[in-house]
Amino acid sequence: MKTSVFYFFLFIAPFFLSAQTRQMTASEVNTFQQKLKKTAEVKSLSADFIQYKHMSFMKKPVESAGKVYVKQPNKLSWAYVSPFQYKMVFKDGKIFINDQGDKKTLDLGNSKQFEKISKLISSSMKGSGYDEKEFVVTYFKKGNADMVKLRPKMNDAKKYVKEIELLFSTKDEQVEEVKLIEPSNDYTRFVLKNRKINTTIDDAVFNL
Amino acid sequence: MMRFLIYSVALLVLSSSCATFKFPNAVGMRESTQQELNNFYLDTTQTYVYRFKMQAFKQAQNGNLLIEAVSPETHRIALVSDFGQTLFDMSIYPERYDVHYVMPDMNKKLLLNEVADIFRTLTTRRYAESALLFMDKQHFPVYVVGDSYYTLQERHVAQILQTKNGKERFKVAFLNVEQRIAKSIHVTHSKYPITLDFELDRKQSNL
Repeated sequence: MKTSVFYFFLFIAPFFLSAQTRQMTASEVNTFQQKLKKTAEVKSLSADFIQYKHMSFMKKPVESAGKVYVKQPNKLSWAYVSPFQYKMVFKDGKIFINDQGDKKTLDLGNSKQFEKISKLISSSMKGSGYDEKEFVVTYFKKGNADMVKLRPKMNDAKKYVKEIELLFSTKDEQVEEVKLIEPSNDYTRFVLKNRKINTTIDDAVFNL
Repeated sequence: MMRFLIYSVALLVLSSSCATFKFPNAVGMRESTQQELNNFYLDTTQTYVYRFKMQAFKQAQNGNLLIEAVSPETHRIALVSDFGQTLFDMSIYPERYDVHYVMPDMNKKLLLNEVADIFRTLTTRRYAESALLFMDKQHFPVYVVGDSYYTLQERHVAQILQTKNGKERFKVAFLNVEQRIAKSIHVTHSKYPITLDFELDRKQSNL
């Protein structure tokens, strides 16, 4: 009996352990930060995203998909294409919304949620530019991939977000997954695909 | 004199809180046999995902409504914004509700009570105690349970009118009903400027 348990752990456990998360050693953190410094400065980004909303009581996540475009210093387009059409554009300190033909404009001051998206995306793009006044930053290895966890320090932010996890691609050290964990432990996971860095983005993308 | 004034005010408050609602064109009420009302959200193996649009106090919000029947009388309800942020997540029982999470901006007792009331009415199975009588309509089934008026159409609930203290509080209309599934729902609040529209997302629901 003991032998069979031993063999079970010997052969089966590695499959479960392959994506195990562990904290980076000091030298791994150093190597990771050096790698980020070497990657090109991100001036523009375009990607497809899939959003998975996980709720503890739901058997499967609620899924939506869209396209994101970012052009530094201050243009962002976040558009859902499935299962509904909804586009938000951030530029000139305002949010422009197109909700299936119904268009409106909001001042950024009215939308804390949007400020959070904007800050999150820019810090993700920078890779190492996390605001340590705002977040407790810890570094992990998930399998072979690098992962950064950001825990808000401010009480106001803690009420909305418990933790942000950024998972980096093993191929190009760009962020390929963002996980926003709520205080209830329900979370939203964004998977970024077809990422293109520093390619020309037509300004028309930032119009509704 | 003072005592008379207190009694008068108390009597006035009591009588206004006990005022009965007058359903349009109804001329009376009769006893009803046990009639099951609102059987849309009974199956505990199913979860429903609706796309919602809310207009409240000149503010608009879009997202998803998630409904799971824990039992025919108890439901887990969550409203999630398009960006994935949970606005409300609560379990609603016949006499109370438990909040699992509420976005801090919306954590107001009055608002939570109202949300729980609306979704309790929308999801809970009830049994008719009586039915309304109409002078000119022989077959216009409107059943009454407590402060709620259920209008039936083709054997399913088409509208629930919820009253409070003798006044209309809100209306829930079930539209495009097929095989005991409401594909669209429209809620209009009578006291506050709130409207809610729900469209079933069948692909993401577990039906």
